[in-house]
Amino acid sequence: MNAVYILSGLGIFSLLAEIFSFRKILFPIVLLGLLATAGLLVMDWNTGTSHFSNMLTFDNYAIAFSAGIAVIAFLWFLMSRDYFENNTHVTDHFALVLFSLVGAVFMVSYSNLAMLFLGIEILSISLYIMAGSKMTDLFSNEASFKYFLMGSFATGFLLFGIALVYGVTGSFDLGKINQVITAGSTEFSALLYAGVLLMMVGLAFKISAVPFHFWAPDVYEGSPTVVTAFMSTIVKIAAFAGFFRLFATCFASVSGEWVNVVQVIAVLTLVVSNITAVYQNSVKRMLAFSSIAHAGYLLITLVALNEISASAILYYVLAYAAASLAAFAVLHNVAFENENASAESFNGLSKRNPFHAFAMTVALLSLAGIPPLAGFFAKYYIFTVAFESGYVGIVLLAVVTSLIGIYYYFRIIIAMYLKAPETTTPVAVTTMHNVMLVICLLSTIILGLFPDMIIKLI
Amino acid sequence: MTLYAFYFISFLAVLSALMVVFSRNPIHSVLYLVITFFCVACHYLLLNAQFLAAVHVIVYAGAIMVLFLYVIMLLNLNKDDESQKSNLWKAGAVITSGLLLVVFVGALRGAEAESVSFASSNNTGLVKNLGRLLFNEFLLPFEIVSILLLAAMVGAVMLGKTHMKRAKEIAHEKNGRGSVASARGIGNIKELTK
Amino acid sequence: MSDLIGFIPLAPLLGFLFIGFLNKSLTKGWVSFFACGAVFVAFILSSVLFFNLLNAPEGQAAFTYTAFDWITTGNFSVSFSFLVDPLSATMMMIITGVGFLIHVYSVGYMYHDDGFRRFFMYLNLFIFFMLLLVMGSNYLLMFVGWEGVGLCSYLLIGFWFKNQDYNDAAKKAFIMNRIGDLGLILGVILIFVTFGSINYADVFSKAGEFPVGSEIITWITILLFVGAIGKSAQIPLYTWLPDAMAGPTPVSALIHAATMVTAGVYMIARNNVLYTLSPFTLEIVTVIGLATALFAATIAIAQNDIKKVLAYSTVSQLGLMFVALGLGAFTTGIFHMATHAFFKALLFLGAGSVIHGMSDEQDIRKMGGLRKYLPITFITFLVGTLAIAGIPPFAGFFSKDEILANAFAHSKVVYAVGAIASLLTSFYMFRLFFLTFSGENRASEEVKHHIHESPKSMTIPLMVLAVLSLIGGFMGVPEVLGGSHALNNFLSPVFAQSAQIAGEHHHLDHSTELILMGLIVGLTLVMIFIAYSIYVRRKSVPTSNEASLGAAHRLVYNKYYVDEAYNTVVVKPLYFLSKVFDSVVEKLLIDNIVNGTGKAITWGSKTLRLVQTGNTGFYILAMVISIIVLLVSRSFL
Repeated sequence: MNAVYILSGLGIFSLLAEIFSFRKILFPIVLLGLLATAGLLVMDWNTGTSHFSNMLTFDNYAIAFSAGIAVIAFLWFLMSRDYFENNTHVTDHFALVLFSLVGAVFMVSYSNLAMLFLGIEILSISLYIMAGSKMTDLFSNEASFKYFLMGSFATGFLLFGIALVYGVTGSFDLGKINQVITAGSTEFSALLYAGVLLMMVGLAFKISAVPFHFWAPDVYEGSPTVVTAFMSTIVKIAAFAGFFRLFATCFASVSGEWVNVVQVIAVLTLVVSNITAVYQNSVKRMLAFSSIAHAGYLLITLVALNEISASAILYYVLAYAAASLAAFAVLHNVAFENENASAESFNGLSKRNPFHAFAMTVALLSLAGIPPLAGFFAKYYIFTVAFESGYVGIVLLAVVTSLIGIYYYFRIIIAMYLKAPETTTPVAVTTMHNVMLVICLLSTIILGLFPDMIIKLI
Repeated sequence: MTLYAFYFISFLAVLSALMVVFSRNPIHSVLYLVITFFCVACHYLLLNAQFLAAVHVIVYAGAIMVLFLYVIMLLNLNKDDESQKSNLWKAGAVITSGLLLVVFVGALRGAEAESVSFASSNNTGLVKNLGRLLFNEFLLPFEIVSILLLAAMVGAVMLGKTHMKRAKEIAHEKNGRGSVASARGIGNIKELTK
Repeated sequence: MSDLIGFIPLAPLLGFLFIGFLNKSLTKGWVSFFACGAVFVAFILSSVLFFNLLNAPEGQAAFTYTAFDWITTGNFSVSFSFLVDPLSATMMMIITGVGFLIHVYSVGYMYHDDGFRRFFMYLNLFIFFMLLLVMGSNYLLMFVGWEGVGLCSYLLIGFWFKNQDYNDAAKKAFIMNRIGDLGLILGVILIFVTFGSINYADVFSKAGEFPVGSEIITWITILLFVGAIGKSAQIPLYTWLPDAMAGPTPVSALIHAATMVTAGVYMIARNNVLYTLSPFTLEIVTVIGLATALFAATIAIAQNDIKKVLAYSTVSQLGLMFVALGLGAFTTGIFHMATHAFFKALLFLGAGSVIHGMSDEQDIRKMGGLRKYLPITFITFLVGTLAIAGIPPFAGFFSKDEILANAFAHSKVVYAVGAIASLLTSFYMFRLFFLTFSGENRASEEVKHHIHESPKSMTIPLMVLAVLSLIGGFMGVPEVLGGSHALNNFLSPVFAQSAQIAGEHHHLDHSTELILMGLIVGLTLVMIFIAYSIYVRRKSVPTSNEASLGAAHRLVYNKYYVDEAYNTVVVKPLYFLSKVFDSVVEKLLIDNIVNGTGKAITWGSKTLRLVQTGNTGFYILAMVISIIVLLVSRSFL
């Protein structure tokens, strides 16, 4: 709960900072605040307290994901500092990001549907604006508007679903809903089914699973790169953790009713995203499709729900976030002159900035799932979960799609190392970026070498 | 009596909702929407939710609809400006929404069978009871909504401010990365003003 | 006590990271301080553990320490845990002790090299992996160490990477080791499948349920032995080791003589339970060891490069160790490994000192008479040579004699071949020694002018190792000479289970043993005398004109043309086959399949891309249709 206080406080503080011209010290304070958030969360480990008549429950699952989000946000701030500095509304941006983090924390720790809805809304509203924060750029405006339109549409479905579930069970509380469903159900009623399904649609939209993914490529491409990085890491993690929390705790007892739907969504997501990514020339758009694909892998854990699913997801999202942030950071630096950089702009990066090329390579290899990097074990655990639950078919499909994935990731690696650069000007970077990249790379490697650090957590 | 009122109000609500979609003039659409909102408020009353009914009228029919009207007036929309979708699109939209209706009706038909009882009395929807609920069980969501509103407000202000001035300022700072980024910004402004 | 264990591999790892990160900002002095210090810390800790084990009460024969759980999935779980029992403690003493001396030596040897820091980084990394290999309490950790030392070996052989020959040598070592590693991996997988675990303790306790001669155990042990063949340079995968001499001499001493190449010996000794269960594999081990010992010894006779001679001698000695293992005398194998580590490290470092003094000359035909120039090197090298030749009371005598005694008890043929190999050893070693140190100096005037004794940092390790080579054998004095064989008692808990399975060994009676000892020492002295008469009295120097050699000599000089044979038998047919595959299978079949798949995916991608129209209305329509489908699907799914 302290995490929520600190993040909201930081958000309000950054709004005030504009008035009192604290701009200079705002950045370090926010960084410290994020670390403090993570620290305070970790201190509550194993307590599992619920707050405010069971609105939020900070069990180990919630703590692990919230702390993860805080740390990723820390790295994200390191990455996007120069973006803020070139912007008019530094403090407003900070406030929006911090508020959206509050929403993200709600989404992983809610134990009441009202909080889930509020969390999603806080996160989304801030994001609609952040996507359009490059106000002079038409693409950014378009992204923002598209995201807003479709997001509200999806929210409508989510709300409808929540209402239907409330109608059947008479409660917003996850525990009570679960009780009613488990105890009273002689038959899984059509009303409840519709409710569950509509909630699934609303959440599938947020994690951009096919066929509710249409917004993602356009929005990811149009938004400023740092915002895209934010969306594809923190937002995705929060949304998926929320998705999983709902279906693995609340509706787990009737999983037979919805598991086929999730399976269809997962298969579609894996196939469509990976295949579409092959033909993308814009690296940002390719990463958008890759991010959709990763949602597909994550959904497999929900299909094959067992006791290590949660840990597998935590490991996956951390591995994914570390690699993804590194990739976006490199993209941000390489392509700051041309936001929609094609694979060609990576030509010969190994000569223009060897460290960046190396970082990008490690990140892409991890995303592709090459051992011994974290991405490999992330996929490995998910496949193990599915395998143990007997979903061999979907594992085979996922393996095939990861092979397709290797193709489009390697295209960039090849461009960086084997093609001649178009210009010889070295890519200028700040120390902050290098530090952030080093942290991302180290965690990618260390997570890969010692996967049990995370897997044993939850 | 209540049953007849329900059917009448429902009929009115659906009719005016359809009119929102079908009327060509945006002003008319908005006015029909106001009627729809009023009908919904009446439904609240029928369900003993007096406070909600009042708030609904004040906020939606009162504030938001007036805002809509202003926006439409400022944008100076009229019949001719309405973007025409092709008939194919229209057919697709109609069929899809029709299907959705059918599916939902099919799904919700068995709803009577549900056994959860919602204890209600004449006092359920009064301010006092609602307030008690909001400040006890739902205290956190109630307070947290402020964050949501704050975020929305900050965003609205941020998007609303003018940026040209700052962009020009940046263009003059010709050092380091700032210069390149701002050069790009200027380029875009030129495109915009073309 | 157990908490100390974690620090032993940690110290060299930290040394590696520290030097690696602070690369340029450290002076050479600090680099050597940190590198040597790290290994020294590991050595001190190992000694503490070693002496604790030595004085440990009966039944408390091992320390284990679990750093953390490493990988857990389903029923497969591996922890990052270390096992220190008498076997690994002995190995650790050798690795850190000899390793430390060689680190110190390298400070002097490599001081003027540009890659000074890089060199010490690699060395520390090597020590780390080697410790992982011997300390790991499961096969996976051993495998990580196994691959890690292979990597370090590769990096260090190709240390002077500007020379293409050296790079080729490094690649050769790497590839040959991969062949062996494949066997090791398969063996470990088979172990997991058979026993359901890859922890030593579980595997060995479950192995007791298998009968002697069990087929699956035989397969496991053979596969593991393939790994050992690669790493420990036995026939047919030995050719990489002589080429590996391209690396700096301390590397040859540390990796390619004292530690890494003995990993195969360690691995088999570690798996003694499995091997004892498979007499058939033990036979194979004996035969291969024996063949290698003899074969390499004959090659060594005709080599003229000081390091090549020592390399073949290493191969030959490793062969002898495998003979001991194959005979089920695991302690003896380890004993010889320990003494070999002392005197072979000494010989290599001595050779390094000679090379250093001779301005990087390695050809013994151009040496000679170095006795007066390099007195310390001369004496220590003599000690090493006596030790390897097996003259009592030097270290090699006890361990080699024990192997031969075991061989005699087993079969006369094994004994005869082993004895011949060991006699050849004394001949070629003294040939090397005389050519290098006695007679006139044959170097050019310029080189002669510069000959100098090496600095203290190099000679002190030589002296320490010389002392060890002198007294090292006393840890295993056999009963017949009035000893109690301390090493045997120390290691016995490790081999207790296999001793139980194998039953009683028939021992030689003391008189036979004494006669054999006397015989072999006498014959060794004869060999030395022959070498003396050829190379000192007659002052004959091997000719550099190959044509004038006799056929047999030429055959040996060219190492039996094994490299050429491999080239003709393996490499060329492979090239041919790959050409066939390339033109037929690849171009006609695979290419079409692959390209077809690729095209299909690209086509799919192009098509699916078009769905992404950018039209919001369409997106929403698609979403709604999907929702309808999902809602309706309930009746079908």
